[in-house]
Amino acid sequence: MLNSIKPKKSTILLYLLVPVAMFVFTVFVPLVTAFVYSFFEWKGGPVKTFTGLTNYVTLFHDSTFWEAFGHNIYLVVACIIGQIGIAFILVMMINSKLVKLKGMHRTFGFFPSTISAVCIGLIWNMIYHNQYGVLNWFLKSIGRDDLCKVWLNEPKLVMMLVSIPLIWQFIGYYMIIMLSAISSIDTEVFESAEIDGANGVQRAIYITLPLIKNTMLVCITLCIAGNMKAFDNIFVMTKGGPGTASMVMAMYGYQVSFNQSNMGYGSCISVGIFVLSLIVIGGSQALIKYITREKEA
Amino acid sequence: MKKKLLSVLLCSVLTASLLAGCGNSAAEAPADEPQTEAPAEEAGGADESEEPAAPAEASGDLAFAGELEIMHYSTSEESEGNGGSDGFRTVLAQWDEAHPDITLTQNVLANAEYKTQIATLAAANDLPDVFLLQGMNSIDWASQGLVYDLTADIESSPYAADYNQAYFAPFTVDGKIYGYPALTGGTCTVVIYDKAMWKEAGFDAFPSTWEDVEKAAEYFNGQGIIPVAFGNGGKWQANSDFLSTLGNRYTGPDWFMSLVAKGGAAFTDEEFVKALAETQRLFTETEIFNEDFNAVTNEDAREYYISGDAAAFIGGNWDESYIWAALQADNEEKFNNMGFAVLPQPADATQAPNSQNIGLGYAVAINAKVAEDPDKLAAAIDLAEYITGPAFASYVAENYALGGLTKVADVDLSGFDQITQDFYNWSYVDTETCEIYDSYITNAVWDVLNTDLQTLMNGDITPEEVAANAQAAYEANY
Repeated sequence: MLNSIKPKKSTILLYLLVPVAMFVFTVFVPLVTAFVYSFFEWKGGPVKTFTGLTNYVTLFHDSTFWEAFGHNIYLVVACIIGQIGIAFILVMMINSKLVKLKGMHRTFGFFPSTISAVCIGLIWNMIYHNQYGVLNWFLKSIGRDDLCKVWLNEPKLVMMLVSIPLIWQFIGYYMIIMLSAISSIDTEVFESAEIDGANGVQRAIYITLPLIKNTMLVCITLCIAGNMKAFDNIFVMTKGGPGTASMVMAMYGYQVSFNQSNMGYGSCISVGIFVLSLIVIGGSQALIKYITREKEA
Repeated sequence: MKKKLLSVLLCSVLTASLLAGCGNSAAEAPADEPQTEAPAEEAGGADESEEPAAPAEASGDLAFAGELEIMHYSTSEESEGNGGSDGFRTVLAQWDEAHPDITLTQNVLANAEYKTQIATLAAANDLPDVFLLQGMNSIDWASQGLVYDLTADIESSPYAADYNQAYFAPFTVDGKIYGYPALTGGTCTVVIYDKAMWKEAGFDAFPSTWEDVEKAAEYFNGQGIIPVAFGNGGKWQANSDFLSTLGNRYTGPDWFMSLVAKGGAAFTDEEFVKALAETQRLFTETEIFNEDFNAVTNEDAREYYISGDAAAFIGGNWDESYIWAALQADNEEKFNNMGFAVLPQPADATQAPNSQNIGLGYAVAINAKVAEDPDKLAAAIDLAEYITGPAFASYVAENYALGGLTKVADVDLSGFDQITQDFYNWSYVDTETCEIYDSYITNAVWDVLNTDLQTLMNGDITPEEVAANAQAAYEANY
């Protein structure tokens, strides 16, 4: 029976050929070429000089790059807590029997994910604007003029301020993924738990969370991958400034490659981003697996 | 049956997604490519009635017949209101029309995209026949043999006598010239102020020293008005629109030319560090500027001036033309009160108090590969000479009161409003000129300096550290 609908191997290969070719051309080839160029001094002309590991030595001692890496990790932590955490709470609320118009909540929750990063950046720039911004207007209207600031020019606050729009934008995205995972849980489980007297929080922690564990893992991986390559929102809002206070790795790579036309070192930074992202994603997955195994034991 | 239906469904979804995938990539490809404009459309866009009489050279006979590519950034959107772009498009169309045997293919991109694209093409050794070379790329590209050496052609150009020789400096490497400076010369640092507001503060004209500006700032801040608006959110503004001129007041022009020629000057030289220290003092210790100068761009900051929230604004000629147009349309009184001034002189600076940085940032350059075909090279040189020659200079002088590479004698300004005349005189007649830093050296240095400048203006780094970082980048990249 299974064989009857299984297509021939050649058919499968034929179907696979196009997407695989596209993948190789758009992902694999640039990755390999970037890796090759990372061993050259290439200042944006036809002349490339092989310099061995010089770029990597520079990268290792490049304080701006490591500062940017720190900012990426900050974003990852902030977004795992902010995006996935808040999304989980919202999902629990939407799934509650007391909530009406669930479809509307889902739609409006997801809506920010569909807006382009440039628009989001501009909208939040207006919120933070020190003269015309909503935030300072609110502070003034409650009589706290002393708290008004040029928000995006505060080196200590700027990473938090640029994370907020990112978190806000993608809550809905994770909400949808979790909602679909939860909908596959048998409702009888919840009903029997309710009869046993479990309240909403207990149901969320002891029933929902373990049952959608794998989905949560996917969400966390997506969240890490997304934030390790963060660029657009921050570029629109601060261009990495003031100074390098909100510089992230991808932006630094862009700046070195295109503003400083140092393509060789820029390629080296891209390879660095790739390796660090793999380490962080791999490390976090190992960590989660380790933690969850402890609980089961 | 159900499974069959499912498989059919899956297959169709797969095919559809594949098709959609192909469709997307096909649709995206042309969008990524630069907008290629048909020469016919180009010619149609030019306003014949406004054209000055084209000199005889425009219709000169050239042996070359075939395709000649040019890449530039004077888009049709840009040319509305921007004299340089409009003039450039107009003379290009004139040349194209005068040479029916040559198919002039134009690749037109907006400036930001142009810079990225031309850098990528240079990296691939695939530059177009004729293109615009940015001053700070001259040394890199010339040393790699990408651009054709035009020294002899410029000397024998029919317009050689009228060229403003100073404009060639950013495109000269080891005594060889690699381009015809293009578009219009405009200042990068002008103080635009509201004469009426400063009169109320007790100043008949914009103060010539920062001490006086500080005194005026007390008055303006008391009124809830920003004394001087400035925007450095893009990071380049503090360099192009401020430090380039302020630095000259401390170091004088020789220091910078020595830096360009690797003649021994360094960013860590005392006079330049003093300029950085003064920049830091002005932005951190005085109340002269809007407090969000590091968070807003020049586009935002000039709106403070236009709306009357600020009494003055510091920016470049592109800001002047925007403010001019905005006020002319909406606020006649404020328009008539527009005044222009040079950057005030710091108390401990000793050089050129009346200087402002002006120049031509781009030059028409020719791909070195074109030289393989002497006829094509002759055509490319003819094109370059024409679009930077008197036809262009007369057009922008008569229509916009702007100047280009070629000097135009006796520009009749009487047809222009007073503000345009004032700005013309301020730009080309009444002030001394100095160099625009980032027309020279390499962006690998300026990018490091610009990033640090933003931190410096917040007071989070010392002038000495900024100078040392810039010097390190200079030594590593230049």
